Amino acid sequence: MTEDDKLALLKDLLLTDDRVYAESIHAKIKALEDLIHKQQKLSSKVNPIIDEKLLEFTERIPETLGPTITEALAEQIKNSKDQVVEALYPIMGKMIKKYISQEISLLTERINKQLEDSFSSKSWKRKFKSWFGGVKEEELLLSQLSSISQVEQVLVIEKNSGLLIGQYTKTETIDKDMISGMLTAIKSFVEDAFNEKSQNLELIEYELYHIHIQSFVSFYVAVAISGEYNLIFKNKIQDIIFNFTDNFLNLFDDLSEINEAAITNELEFYFCTNESL
Amino acid sequence: MKVSKKIILLGHFGVGKSSLIRQFVENSFTTDYKVTIGVHILKKEVQIAPNETISLIIWDLEGYDDIKKTRASYLLGTHGFIYVFDVTRPATFQNLEDDITYLTNQYANTPLKVVGNKADLVTKSYLKENKAIFGVTPDFFTSAKTGDNVADLFTTLAKELVK
Repeated sequence: MTEDDKLALLKDLLLTDDRVYAESIHAKIKALEDLIHKQQKLSSKVNPIIDEKLLEFTERIPETLGPTITEALAEQIKNSKDQVVEALYPIMGKMIKKYISQEISLLTERINKQLEDSFSSKSWKRKFKSWFGGVKEEELLLSQLSSISQVEQVLVIEKNSGLLIGQYTKTETIDKDMISGMLTAIKSFVEDAFNEKSQNLELIEYELYHIHIQSFVSFYVAVAISGEYNLIFKNKIQDIIFNFTDNFLNLFDDLSEINEAAITNELEFYFCTNESL
Repeated sequence: MKVSKKIILLGHFGVGKSSLIRQFVENSFTTDYKVTIGVHILKKEVQIAPNETISLIIWDLEGYDDIKKTRASYLLGTHGFIYVFDVTRPATFQNLEDDITYLTNQYANTPLKVVGNKADLVTKSYLKENKAIFGVTPDFFTSAKTGDNVADLFTTLAKELVK
């Protein structure tokens, strides 16, 4: 046995345990490395599939989970009907009540008008005029209708202070600032008197004049109308006011920033050039 | 741009709120007493600087013995208050301190002027000697009848409103 063999034998005897341990560590590291690489490889293949599935799932939520959610909500509403009704009634109730009553009144008015028109002497006169004059009956009817009601003045008023924000008028009246203040005082008085904080005064009537009042959160619009004020006309006025506020007033955060002349121009555009009035 | 401000006059019955306004707006005075029912509104343009005017929309409210009974909705959006009492009628200023405290608590950021009206019915020395009995030191002693300090009162308040 040479010296080298003896040394190798001695190494064997002394280091066997450590080597086994080192080899097992090496094997574990190798296994871990494989696992990591494999996962990276795996995720590069699997991720797009998962993404696609997730997208598909998201798109199908209304279809897949919708009925479940609806069912759960329906169950919840069924179980707590009183609370739901209590929460929604003040908001929905008022809207629905108002809508239905207005629609019914409109319908009634249309039917009455139609009946009245079909059999009245006025109707026959119109028909004769149309036959002999060569003008269509519809045109005659329209010209008669337009002469019934007329917008005399429109005021846009700050709700709390009663200060005038802007106005448009066809005829000169007494000071508009004072009218705005008095209208606000009357409105406040009526609304206070009946202790109905959530309801608004909508109409003031005096002989041949009517003041239609449309309330918003921080301001209200008062339209003075001469002549007949019926529900069809009220509907038209409401539509014009809503268009005016949506397309113009709602563009401003602070109404006091708007130039009065600009409001007058806009009001004139909406109320004077509107063919349906 | 037009500037408008809402001013409200408060105080007991018969202290001369309407007369003060009439004197300021129309430069007139009448001894015929007409009680204000509800509210009466008047307007006056006031020059507060060489090129600056302001529209005062003045709300003359009916008088109440108790300020808390004033219709709250009338007071909404007010830019300035004028509290009027009659220097000759203790009943109109016996609760002055409480009324002013109430107003300053409820409308902390709204300018307020305390006014002792009918000053023409007493002597200046009386007012000077009896200032303490009012409970609150008035900002102005006015006379709607003679017009003393009336324009000054409204102009001072108007200037404060545009600061």
